[in-house]
Formats: sequence, structure tokens, C-alpha cells
Amino acid sequence: MTRVRDILAEKGNAIWTITSQTSVRDALAMMAEKKIGALAVVDTGSLVGMFSERDYARKVISIPNFSLDLPVEKLMTRRVFFAIPEQTMDECMAVMTQKNVRHLPVMDESILIGMISIGDVVKRTLFEMDNRIKDLEEYLWIHLI
Amino acid sequence: MAQIRQILESKGKDVFWVTPETSIEKALALMAEKGIGAVVVMQGETISGIFSERDFARKTLTIDGFQLALPVSAVMSKPVYFVKPDQSLEECMTIMTEKHIRHIPVMEAGKLIGIVSIRDVIKYLIADKNFEILELERFVSSQTQEGLP
Repeated sequence: MTRVRDILAEKGNAIWTITSQTSVRDALAMMAEKKIGALAVVDTGSLVGMFSERDYARKVISIPNFSLDLPVEKLMTRRVFFAIPEQTMDECMAVMTQKNVRHLPVMDESILIGMISIGDVVKRTLFEMDNRIKDLEEYLWIHLI
Repeated sequence: MAQIRQILESKGKDVFWVTPETSIEKALALMAEKGIGAVVVMQGETISGIFSERDFARKTLTIDGFQLALPVSAVMSKPVYFVKPDQSLEECMTIMTEKHIRHIPVMEAGKLIGIVSIRDVIKYLIADKNFEILELERFVSSQTQEGLP
């Protein structure tokens, strides 16, 4: 049973963060550089929101006089669903699907220790499917000889 | 092994599309209205590209004179990867992972018959598992001056 901590162990626990005052321009530049779709917004050590490609795409058209120099606090999502290290991958999938989010910060007590994306989950699921098929093939092979 | 066809059966065959001349602003408005992350760009019966939230986020910074009034053809992605209904869920997941995409149009006999998103895939994977989402609802929420949720 794969848990969030197994995924973090493999992908690493790099967390790319910005503050609520970071400009949209700088946030987008960081996302492009790191090849990611969301950033955790942290103000003086506390997680205050998430800024994702979706926040940008949805809210740009509804903000009058939008400018890339605006701070992300104008667009970020403040209600952030998160995962804990012991959570199973299935549970993450359920939260992502039902809450329509593609990223879950991982919190241990109240400390941000990593980030898990929908892509990480799919990648891991593929890996396990592949392993199951390989195990099955080995089993068949052994029983055929 | 589940096939793409089965995913389309449960999510439906709606595909929302725009033309290459549609403005970025209109495309984003359509995406917001339908709650989707990408639209297919059609020139008549041909798919000329796909425009996603990622394209918007990435190309905002790389296109000279970027503005929402630009046509979607200036920011869409191509070529477009697609799958056929009889391909497996696993193949779909592999393409998404390797090509770093979250949406794949589905073609049958040269016609666009649907689109599968990474969320559709995940939803299908956990379809038969029941979760008490209330127990899983863990979130942090920060107060705002404007009192937004």
C-alpha cells in the first residue's frame, strides 16, 4: 500500500515556495523554471495559500486592470487541501478528484514537508501496474518451465 | 484492462473547442464556464492544436506583446497527441506521464469523439473504492481582509 511518504522518498521533498507578495510574473517564471504547476504560498513560516496554473487561468479574466505585477495574494487559493505522510495514494486520488485539485502540500504536524501532484500519483500507479504485470509474468514463466 | 472507451462512457463525449482565431480571453472564459483545463483548437474538421492552462501560464512570459486579445493560435500547443477508444487506460497514462500532458483527445476513424483528462483517469482508477471524503478533508485556510473563503 503506497503512502505519500513513499512517493516523497522517491521524488524528493523539494518545495518551491513564494510569499503572498510575490508578483504573478515572478511566480509564473518560477513555475516555468522548475517545470511545475503550482507553488505553495508561505508567509513567515505559515502556509497561507496555493498558487496554481488554474488560479491564473481562471482569475485573470475576472480581475479588472489585471497586471502581472500584482501580488499572488490577489489570485491564490486560500483554502488549501493537504495530505499527511501516512495517507494512501488512493486517498490522495479521492481528494484530488473530489476537490478538483492537482497538487496537495504534504504536512507533518503543521510543517510543510513536500508536495505531491496528480502527475506523481499517475506515475506511481503506472509503476505499480507494471510491477504487477512483471510479477505475473515471472509467476507464469516459473510455472511454465 | 480498461479501455479509453470505458472512460468516455462514464464521463461523456462532450468536447469543448475553439477556432484558431478565438481570443485567449474567450477561450479562458469557455474553460472557466465548463470547468475544464484545456480546449481543442479546430479548423473546420481538423484539429490544429490544443490550448491548456499550462500553455497560458508558460507562454504569458515568452510571447512578445502578450495580451488576452491575441488569438489562441499564438499560444496553443501542437502537435496534438491523441488516443483511440480501444487503447488501454495504461497507454493513456503512459502518454500523459511521458509527454507531460493532462489532456488527450480521443479520435475514431479520423473524428474527434471525446477528450480524456488526467482527472478522468484518476476518477476511473478509484471508481469502485468508496471513500468517506469527510474524513479526508484536511485543509488550512487563511483569513483575508476581503473576507473571501
